[in-house]
Amino acid sequence: MVNRIFGLETEYGLLIHQDHPDHSPTWFAHRLRDQLFHVQRRGVLDLHHRGHDEPPGNGGFLVNAGRIYLDMGHLEYASPECHSLTDVVASDRAGDLLLQQALEELGLSEQVSLIKNNIDHETDATFGSHENYLVSRRFPFSRRGLAPLVTFLVTRQIFTGSGRVGSAAPQDAWIQTDRLIVPRSAFGTHQVSDLPFQISQRADYIVNDFFEWVQHNRAIVNTRDEPLADPNQYRRIHLLLGDSNMAEYATALKLGTTGLVLQLIEEGHAPQDLEIDEPVEALQEISQDQERRWLVQLRSQKTMSAVDIQGRFLDCAVQHCKGQDEETDWVLAQWASVLHDLGDDYHKLVGRVDWASKLWLLECFREAEHLDWVDPMMRSLDLEYHNLNHEKGLYHGLLEEGRAPRVTTDRLIHLAMDTAPKNTRAYGRSELVRHLLNEGPALGMDQSPAPDGLFPPYVINWSIFQVRGHAPFPMPDPFKTYLEDVRTHLQSVIV
Amino acid sequence: MTHSMMPERREGPVDPMPKSPSPEEGSGPRRPDTGSPDKDNLMKRMRKVDPKQAERYRQRTGE
Repeated sequence: MVNRIFGLETEYGLLIHQDHPDHSPTWFAHRLRDQLFHVQRRGVLDLHHRGHDEPPGNGGFLVNAGRIYLDMGHLEYASPECHSLTDVVASDRAGDLLLQQALEELGLSEQVSLIKNNIDHETDATFGSHENYLVSRRFPFSRRGLAPLVTFLVTRQIFTGSGRVGSAAPQDAWIQTDRLIVPRSAFGTHQVSDLPFQISQRADYIVNDFFEWVQHNRAIVNTRDEPLADPNQYRRIHLLLGDSNMAEYATALKLGTTGLVLQLIEEGHAPQDLEIDEPVEALQEISQDQERRWLVQLRSQKTMSAVDIQGRFLDCAVQHCKGQDEETDWVLAQWASVLHDLGDDYHKLVGRVDWASKLWLLECFREAEHLDWVDPMMRSLDLEYHNLNHEKGLYHGLLEEGRAPRVTTDRLIHLAMDTAPKNTRAYGRSELVRHLLNEGPALGMDQSPAPDGLFPPYVINWSIFQVRGHAPFPMPDPFKTYLEDVRTHLQSVIV
Repeated sequence: MTHSMMPERREGPVDPMPKSPSPEEGSGPRRPDTGSPDKDNLMKRMRKVDPKQAERYRQRTGE
């Protein structure tokens, strides 16, 4: 899409099918990582400390220029930088397939399931799906400038949410309301544990509108300024309020609509009269609204439905963005289609919108088996929707039945496992990783951490790399491939 | 389900990844097939699910 780089970061859960497992999820995560890097040689491990919780060997860059690593005990996959929705969806699914194939190669797929979701029902743990959008440094990153983005993000969950059974217990956290920070328990009028189903997994865990941290006080807009690119030219909008999507269609629509709204804001065309009175509360109220009316109170005292608010953003995007490229027109058409169907029977969205697919599946089962929503089976089915095992997962069942529309192909996904997008700097990084895998051992660059005091054989980061004994190689522009320059640089390494 | 096919991947500076399928003619909004998916196979999948697996799924908070 025009002037946009996309990226997705996904944390996976590991479900161990044993009452008294011999090993922890983290132990299995280590096995999977080692299979990918040491046995399959899909990439090169970091040989340096990337942070206090990322010691050497914790993870590394892949030949597709993405990353796999352990983060807070979770396996995490970060896609390479992508310039198109087609690429980012294929790259995201490639991460799923890399991990699932490694699990099957290890002979562990009956013992362990990879779950691409964001919650567990037992401990209320949450883990993320983070979206990254590169914008111009001129993007109005102020409370006022971001107000339209907050409104859009609060209401987009009606087609981006993955849905869940129940809700999180009241968080031991603080919630912002009318510029006051108060305990979340102050809103304890709602018996959240009785909630049958809500449309978002993450809404219960978002307690601020703007904040810079990701592990506590999660915000609608994360304000950490870490562009991973030339800071004079670019800013990276980092969002952590979204759910992991199983549906390819929902993934593409989430990233595509958000990219267009960022463009509207950059160009001064976003609607300015839709500021939500209490965005954090509204986020949770929309998610938990059992009647799916999704009414929102605006600062203007007007009440609008989330569907109508999204319609206003769509109208602006049609007016200002239509015809700029084919992907934009695809997004505009599907955005309109989904909003139309959201005003009708949710069954029409099965296969396209994850919460609708999950709710339909669970309702079918509940009615057939005469179960209550509080039955443990309902929470187990909720998890199974996100199972990456094609023979077991419920989303994959919908795919098998031909009822979940595709926006990519199996062939593209397989290619994206070992191929970087060829129109971003990911391509140059992929060349580097491939070179280190092929030539590294001959140059004495095995994947062992360097002794203390010695520069490691290589250091790779998103926007720079350095091979020992050679000058650092900066890659500050994500829109450039750096391919020829990387090749020239690597020739000097061989010499 | 061709109503949802993405446009062809745009050309990059160098030989790009293979293209996704071409879009169907006339890519305006259109209603998907609204018939109910075949429930039988999906019900079979759901009946195989271990009712206790959600109790076993205990993760760390991440990010």
